[in-house]
Amino acid sequence: MEEIPDFWRTEVFHPLSVHFPIALLVVAFLFKVIALRYSRDLWERGGTVLLIAGVITVWIAIFTGDLADGIVSRKICDPTVLKDHENMAWTTAWLFTAGLGVDLLRQLKYPIFNNILFRIILILLLATGTGTLTYTGHLGATLVYQQAAGVYVPSGNCAEFE
Amino acid sequence: MKAKFVNSLLFSAIFLFFACGESTDVVESGTYQGTIQEVEPSKTEIYVETDENQTLELYFSDSTSLTRDGNNVEFSTLKEGMKVEVEVEKEGKRLNPLVVRVLE
Repeated sequence: MEEIPDFWRTEVFHPLSVHFPIALLVVAFLFKVIALRYSRDLWERGGTVLLIAGVITVWIAIFTGDLADGIVSRKICDPTVLKDHENMAWTTAWLFTAGLGVDLLRQLKYPIFNNILFRIILILLLATGTGTLTYTGHLGATLVYQQAAGVYVPSGNCAEFE
Repeated sequence: MKAKFVNSLLFSAIFLFFACGESTDVVESGTYQGTIQEVEPSKTEIYVETDENQTLELYFSDSTSLTRDGNNVEFSTLKEGMKVEVEVEKEGKRLNPLVVRVLE
């Protein structure tokens, strides 16, 4: 009889880690957008803190995704979707990392960086990053729900659960 | 003027982000010759650029046969730039490498 595999499999660390950057980076972007209208430190500084946490966790998600890739690619029926997911994830990670770089330069308060131009660049980077993040998530969901990537599929009669 | 320049730079950078990703091709089951573009030892994976300029992403399995001059060799033998002949089986859009022969 088939046995239920251990839950703590290498490929499971990716879905466990990936939702942190999704939440943090989207909310960081919203904070920075709100900071355009309301100049309270809460939005500006809060957005920066969220962005730092989001960028750290996005690179952790890239790492766990790379670990999962070596296992999942051998099982799914269309690895080209996984490749697109991977490429889009790298794009997202670099866009937000660049955004964080611009934001930190602004926070240094040197007049050359603390102007409207850098603010626009920051918002453009974060907006594009949020778009690619959304699409990356969509591709990830497609992999799970269409191809059962990383998912244990129980036997027809569920005998292993008895 | 300055803003226009920075904006152009930014959009070029974003375009480059999208353009930099590797893309791979799906081919029919069969035998192909090409050059190893990249080797990923931790995943026992290779990328092969075929003579028709298609990029095949191949994950080795326990049943993949890897040979050189007719003898079985270890995966660590494979290096970038090596000429290889691969026999692949297409399942869905996944390519299973059945045989990989090192040609040089």
